[in-house]
Amino acid sequence: MKILNCPLNGPRNISEFIYGGELHEMPDPNRCDSREWVEHVYFHENAAGIVREWWCHSATSYWFLAERNTITDEIIRTFPASEVFNQRVEFTAVEGE
Amino acid sequence: MPFGLLKYGLSKDYPAQHHFTPSSTELKKHYDVVIIGAGGHGAACAYYLSKYHGVKNIAVLDKGYLGGGNTARNTAVIRSNYLTEEGVSFYRDSVKLYQNLSNEFGYNIMMENRGQLTLAHSDAAVRSFRWRAEVNQHLGVRSELVDRQTIRELVPNLNMPEDGRYPIMAGLWHADGATARHDAVAWGYMKGACERGVELHQLTEVEDVLISNGRVTGVKTNRGTINCGSVVQAVAGTSSVVAKMAGIKLPVHSFPLQAMVTQPYKPLLTPHVSSPHVHVYVHQTSRGEFVIGGGSDPYPLYNTRSTLDMKESLAAAALELFPFLSQARLMRQWAGITDMTPDYSPIMGLSPVENYYLDAGWGTWGFKATPICGQTMAELVATGKPPELIKPFELERFYRHQQINEAGATAASH
Amino acid sequence: MNEFETTAPDSGLRRSQLYRTQQQGGAEFASLNGATVVKQFAADDAQQLKSLAMVDLSMLPRSGFKGRQAPEWLTRQGVEIPAEPNRATRQQDGSLVASLSVQEHLILSDLQITAGKPQQLENDWQMDADTACYALPRSDSHAWLLLTGEHLRDMLAKVCGIDFAAEEFANHQVAQTSVARLNSILIRDDVQLADGSTVLAFHLLCDVSSVEFMWDCLQDAMDEFGGKPAGLAALLA
Repeated sequence: MKILNCPLNGPRNISEFIYGGELHEMPDPNRCDSREWVEHVYFHENAAGIVREWWCHSATSYWFLAERNTITDEIIRTFPASEVFNQRVEFTAVEGE
Repeated sequence: MPFGLLKYGLSKDYPAQHHFTPSSTELKKHYDVVIIGAGGHGAACAYYLSKYHGVKNIAVLDKGYLGGGNTARNTAVIRSNYLTEEGVSFYRDSVKLYQNLSNEFGYNIMMENRGQLTLAHSDAAVRSFRWRAEVNQHLGVRSELVDRQTIRELVPNLNMPEDGRYPIMAGLWHADGATARHDAVAWGYMKGACERGVELHQLTEVEDVLISNGRVTGVKTNRGTINCGSVVQAVAGTSSVVAKMAGIKLPVHSFPLQAMVTQPYKPLLTPHVSSPHVHVYVHQTSRGEFVIGGGSDPYPLYNTRSTLDMKESLAAAALELFPFLSQARLMRQWAGITDMTPDYSPIMGLSPVENYYLDAGWGTWGFKATPICGQTMAELVATGKPPELIKPFELERFYRHQQINEAGATAASH
Repeated sequence: MNEFETTAPDSGLRRSQLYRTQQQGGAEFASLNGATVVKQFAADDAQQLKSLAMVDLSMLPRSGFKGRQAPEWLTRQGVEIPAEPNRATRQQDGSLVASLSVQEHLILSDLQITAGKPQQLENDWQMDADTACYALPRSDSHAWLLLTGEHLRDMLAKVCGIDFAAEEFANHQVAQTSVARLNSILIRDDVQLADGSTVLAFHLLCDVSSVEFMWDCLQDAMDEFGGKPAGLAALLA
C-alpha cells in the first residue's frame, strides 16, 4: 500500500489517513461578499500538479499538511500545520449583524 | 462454418462501412462552435447541433482520441432511479433517448434492457428506497421496492444469508435499467455528426481559451489558433483544468474511479446488482465477463493507476454478494477520472464567460446522461437559452445555495 | 494481590462489553475491583499466555488528560511524562503513562490494580479556566485488551501494517494505528509471568462499541498459531 509519512506517527499505510481538502486562505467572513464565501466553501482549485492540502491521521485525529503531486501521485513532503499556522485564528462577530 | 462470412472477412470489401471518418484536414480559421472533448458528450452535442439545429460548422477537438477518456472507462450502466425531481426527470429523458438510439443512428449500440437492482441492508436503506420508488413512479420511471423472495427470483445466484453481517432486507428494482456498448455510443454520435459536416480533430489539445470583453472568441491549440462563436467544454475529469483556461473556477474535485472485469462465464446474471452498503456493483456483460465497480478513490488525483487495496476491497465486496466468483480470475482493470461535485449533480449551462458553455461535474453519472446532455446542450448552444430540463443544473445554483442533493447518484458509494 | 471469588457472569455492577462472548467461550468469571471479569478460560491459561493469548483488561482503571498545559499539570501531580510522543513510561507505583501526542496522555493501571495514580488523578483534576488541561476519561470510551505470547508478532502482522520487529519497536513504544481496520492504540509492555519468564506483550485499546468485532477478528487471526483468550488469574498468579 502507498505510505504516507505522518509528522506525529511516522510512516503509515495511506488507508489510515483521511484527505482533508485543499489548503486555501479563508476570506474574512465579516468583509467578503456572499459569492466570495460560496466559492470558499464549495469551489476548488483542483489543480493538476503540486498542491498543498490537509490530511488527518484518523487513529489520532491529528491534522497536518502535505505537498503532493496530483499527476504522479507522489507525496513530496508532510509537515505539521504549525509551520503555516503559528498563531490562533480568532473569529469575532461584527456588532449589529 | 458459414464460408460466405469468412470470404467476406478476408475480401477487400470488408469492412463495408467505417464507424466514422475522422477529419484529416487542417484546422479551419473559424468555426461557429468549438467543442472541447470528443467523448460521448462532445460527440452527442455536435450530433444534435448538426442534425436538429442546422449548425454544421463545428470542430470537436480532443487531446487524445474519440471516446478514449471516461467514455471508454465507465461501466456502461444506464438508469434513471435517482432521488431528486430534477435528477429523475433528466435521466428519465436520457433513458428514453437511449431506447431509440440504435434506430436514430441506424447503427447498433447494443442496448440491453436488463433491469437494475439496488440492495438494502438496513432499515434506513429500506426507508430511502421506498422514498426513491415513490419519487420515481410519480415522474414516470419504473421503480419499485421488492422483497427478498422477489430478489431471489430476479437474481438466483445472489448470496442471501439470513444472519450475515449485511443481511439483504429488500431491494429497489428498476426495470428501466440497461446497458449499452459505450464506445458505440460515441462512435454512433460522431459518425452522424461527421456525415453532416462536423469536423473531428483528434490529438488536438486546447492550450488556452481566448476571451475578449467577457466573451469567448477562440481557442489556442497545439495545432494553431482558431476563432469561434462559442465553446462547449465537455472534458469530464479535467474540467477544472480546462475551465481555468477560461478563468472559471468550479466546485469540482477529480477522483479516480477503479473498476475491473473477470474472465468470461456462461450467462448467469441478468440484471445489474449494486449494493451501496458494501460499496460494489456487479453485472455480467453480453460477452460473459463480470464487471465489478465501486466507489471512487479516497483522495483526488489525475492518474489512472491501479491500487491493490481498492481491488481487494472491490473483490471482497463482490464475493459477499456472489461467492461463486471466488475462483474467477481478473482479466483487466482500469480507472477513469471522475469530476465530483459536492451535490452529486452535474454542472450544465451558462458560465461567467459569454458563449462559453459548461458540461462538467459528471462524476460517476456521465455515461447514462450522454444523449439527453447532448440534446439539451445543443439547444443551449443554438438558442443561447438553457432548456428547462437543465436550468436547475447551472453553475449559478451554488451561489443561490440551491444545490441538487442527488443521493441516488451513484449506486455503490452512498 | 486480589483474591478471585467465582461469580455469575452477569453479577456485579460493571462487566465487560465482551462478557456474552466470553461466556460462550466457556469462561469462568470472578469479581475484581467491583467488576465482573474473566478468571480463567482453561486450566492451561498460563501456558497460553506464553504462546499466544488475549486477555480482556477492560475492567481495570485507566484515564487520560489532554491540553496545552496537560504535561505541566501531570508533572505537578508527580507523573513522570515520556520524553517524546508515542512512548510510555512506567511510574513508580506501577501504572503506565503513554504519550499519545505532546499534549495528550493516557494512564493505565498496573495489572494488580495496586497503583493509585489513574483514580487519584481523576479525583484531583478540576475544571479550571486558567489551566488548559482537560480530563479525557478512557474507562467507558475504550476497551482494553492485553495480547501476549511468542507468536504475537506473526499474529499482529495479519491485522496491522506496522513493523513490530524487536529492533524496530522497542518495549514501551506506542503505535496509534489501524488494527483489523479499527483505530487502535498499541503499547508494547512485555509482562513477567508467574514462572519468572518475560513474554512479549501489547496493550490494545480500541473504541468500546466495536470491541466485539475486534475480539472476533483477533480470535480469527490467532487461530492458525493456536492462540486463545485467557483469564486474569493466570496473569496475576
